[in-house]
Amino acid sequence: MKLTRRTFVAASLMCTTLLSAPVAMAEPGAWSDEPVRIVVTFPPGGTSDLVARLVAQYLDTEFGQKAVVDNRPGAAGTVAADYVATQPADGTTFILANNAPFTIAPTRFQTIPYEPVEGFTHVAYIGASAPGLFVQPGLGITSVDDYLAYAKENPPTYGSSGVGSISHILGEAVNAKLDIETIHVPYQGSAPAIQDFRAGVLDTFYDMVVQNSDMIEDKEAVAIAIASPERNPELPDVPTFAEQGYDVVIENWVGLSAPAGLDPAVADQVNETVLAVFALPEVQQRLTDLGITHTAMSVGDYTTFVEEQIDVWKPLIISAGIAE
Amino acid sequence: MDILSSFYGGLLVVLEPQNLMYCFAGVFLGTFIGVLPGIGSLAAIAMILPLTFYLEPTSALVMIAGVYYGAEYGGSIASILMNIPGTPAASITCIDGYPLARKGRAGVALFSTATASFGGGIIGMIVMAALSPSLATLALSFGPADYFAVILLGLVAASAVANGGALRGISMVVAGLMLGTIGIDLTTGDLRYTMGIPELRDGVHIVIVAMGLFGVTELIVSIKANVGGKSTQKIDYADFYPSKQEWKSLFAPILRGGSIGSFFGALPGTGQTIAAAIAYAVEKRVSPQRKDFGTGVLPGVAVPEAANNSATQTAFIPTLTLGVPGSPPMALVIGALMIHGITPGPRLLVEQPNLFWGLVASFLIGNVMLLVLNIPLIGLWVRLLQIPYKYMYPTIIVLICMGVYSLNNNVFDIWLTLVIGAAGYVMRLFKFEPAPLLIGFVLGPIMEEQLRRAMLLSRGDPMVFLERPISATLLAITALILIGASFAAFRSYRMTRNQT
Repeated sequence: MKLTRRTFVAASLMCTTLLSAPVAMAEPGAWSDEPVRIVVTFPPGGTSDLVARLVAQYLDTEFGQKAVVDNRPGAAGTVAADYVATQPADGTTFILANNAPFTIAPTRFQTIPYEPVEGFTHVAYIGASAPGLFVQPGLGITSVDDYLAYAKENPPTYGSSGVGSISHILGEAVNAKLDIETIHVPYQGSAPAIQDFRAGVLDTFYDMVVQNSDMIEDKEAVAIAIASPERNPELPDVPTFAEQGYDVVIENWVGLSAPAGLDPAVADQVNETVLAVFALPEVQQRLTDLGITHTAMSVGDYTTFVEEQIDVWKPLIISAGIAE
Repeated sequence: MDILSSFYGGLLVVLEPQNLMYCFAGVFLGTFIGVLPGIGSLAAIAMILPLTFYLEPTSALVMIAGVYYGAEYGGSIASILMNIPGTPAASITCIDGYPLARKGRAGVALFSTATASFGGGIIGMIVMAALSPSLATLALSFGPADYFAVILLGLVAASAVANGGALRGISMVVAGLMLGTIGIDLTTGDLRYTMGIPELRDGVHIVIVAMGLFGVTELIVSIKANVGGKSTQKIDYADFYPSKQEWKSLFAPILRGGSIGSFFGALPGTGQTIAAAIAYAVEKRVSPQRKDFGTGVLPGVAVPEAANNSATQTAFIPTLTLGVPGSPPMALVIGALMIHGITPGPRLLVEQPNLFWGLVASFLIGNVMLLVLNIPLIGLWVRLLQIPYKYMYPTIIVLICMGVYSLNNNVFDIWLTLVIGAAGYVMRLFKFEPAPLLIGFVLGPIMEEQLRRAMLLSRGDPMVFLERPISATLLAITALILIGASFAAFRSYRMTRNQT
């Protein structure tokens, strides 16, 4: 490249920017000699657990940072969050943050033993997956408008992963938006709800859309709408609620957070390292398989995101009638 | 013929040296972890899960399965020797297993459970090979009303488990049902009996109840009985093998236990504990030795072990063919397969025949390994009983605490176990037995859940239970048992009255 005056100015400007913001350019790499723990709010086997294990595995193989997954399920994620909030902020304990303890519990429960924003250093956003509405193919419903017309005549049953779960909150949000009454049938997780749906006892159910792509392909279920802002590239034929004229957006996000007071330099380094892990093509592929869309966020952006999410979810939880 | 050739294909897959090795590693590790009180198959599978990411999918599945049934078998060892269930399902094995050990027949009991496990495993394997598609369809046609009916049948059968009189038995079942209501109400999200303790929101874990009622209670009782701190167990080394007559008395129970276990294993959401509990209850009704159940009879240990092991294997049917995990360990299996890009579901049998049939064949190989591994070890296990109690008890209580802590990594669970253990001791003093309580506790929550779900789905119409053929048949059988029992009770009452 020829060194022109313009490129010289640009280059020197870039250098100053680099020098003035050394923290933001933390190098990805191991940050602790000790193995770090990633506390998961769910028992082993679910999406959260798989994401945590994915992070742990690649932190080790790519950067030599040993990491173990520590499942502490219970009380809608508050047990794990409370535990992590009270651990030393030395960069060895993280929580695989998600809606349950950070955006649902603060509104749902009268008291929780931790501060969802100030009680943590929110370090790295990972991504989000979107739930949607599935209906029995036999009902001939293919759009939200069809569903509205049907539901006005025959209040349908819908299965959810349990009271206070994301699928329940979405179900109630859709009911409120469409001004319909349906019969909520809660299950312990989505698997038994799907089983009853397949057995034909449920008219509809709400669950993460991409995870059920097999059922959509096999025409065992019709996904009439997904609650993401835009269509998912994995399932381009499933329209969003928004584009059908019903503004319902609910996403199940995951991130990585540490106890409050983590050294900002360490936080940035962890952020860079985790982002580097998620930039790997094979990790991207695994996330896509799990139905998670990854977005890179800085420490600051992620902290603001968590704060905003609490406000986004608050009215949804109150209108779902699950606040204590 | 088709099944046989597929099975042969699967056998060739498992007999590859690496798969054989992983099968053995799984079975060995599973047995070892199963022996440790409270640490069950879920923890064992979670531990090896990261390892399976690096294996071929078939090897991974074969190893996980080995850990799973290995742990369920290993769970019976501590149940028999020390009245400490290694896994929740093994608490049913405690009922007759521990009295057998007290009679000095621990070796025979262990031998019987090894054989019963093997028998149950083979039955489970045959069921899986021959009936996978039809059992998957059956599981799909099981609606909430049908689940309710089958569990009610089990509960009615289970109320016969008690030895100390019907009233005591029923009151313990009710206590178990009540204990099972603690936590968030699944249907409304309301808190029940949590007393402001966040740890109780999710209810009391089955391992805590089993550990407390059997393990801790037993420790308190034994400490009082053995102030000297020396082991008093006598062991007759010549007496490890069941007599010819006992062999014969085991055959039918293993067959019954294995069949009942296969059925409940294939039903998602029920699992080994329910399978073992119901198989034991049924056996207690039909066995020629039913009068002695609970005092230490061999069929009493063989039945739950056969049911338990066959249920462990048929649990793979809904997991693999429907993608529905029947139990938390099965959710891990689905997770492990998804890591390899395999989505369990109706297409798996067609798309991954090697995986499916390799797994089925590994049940045969794995169970043979389990038998070969454990029969020589029986002598070693029994020798454990000779360790003086003053060393044994502290070790056991530490192991119990570790096992309970490993559930949720929460200290509260340890305190709860100790409280339940103390309560169990008080119950023991008043001659109330723990078994019916445990069965009420296991069956209650699932029965309530399915009842309320069925009522929600029928929009409040109770006729749904009589309209569905499966549920109506099961309810009719339940009614017949109840009528028969009351008739028998009435007759024996009249007989005693006429005698006086």
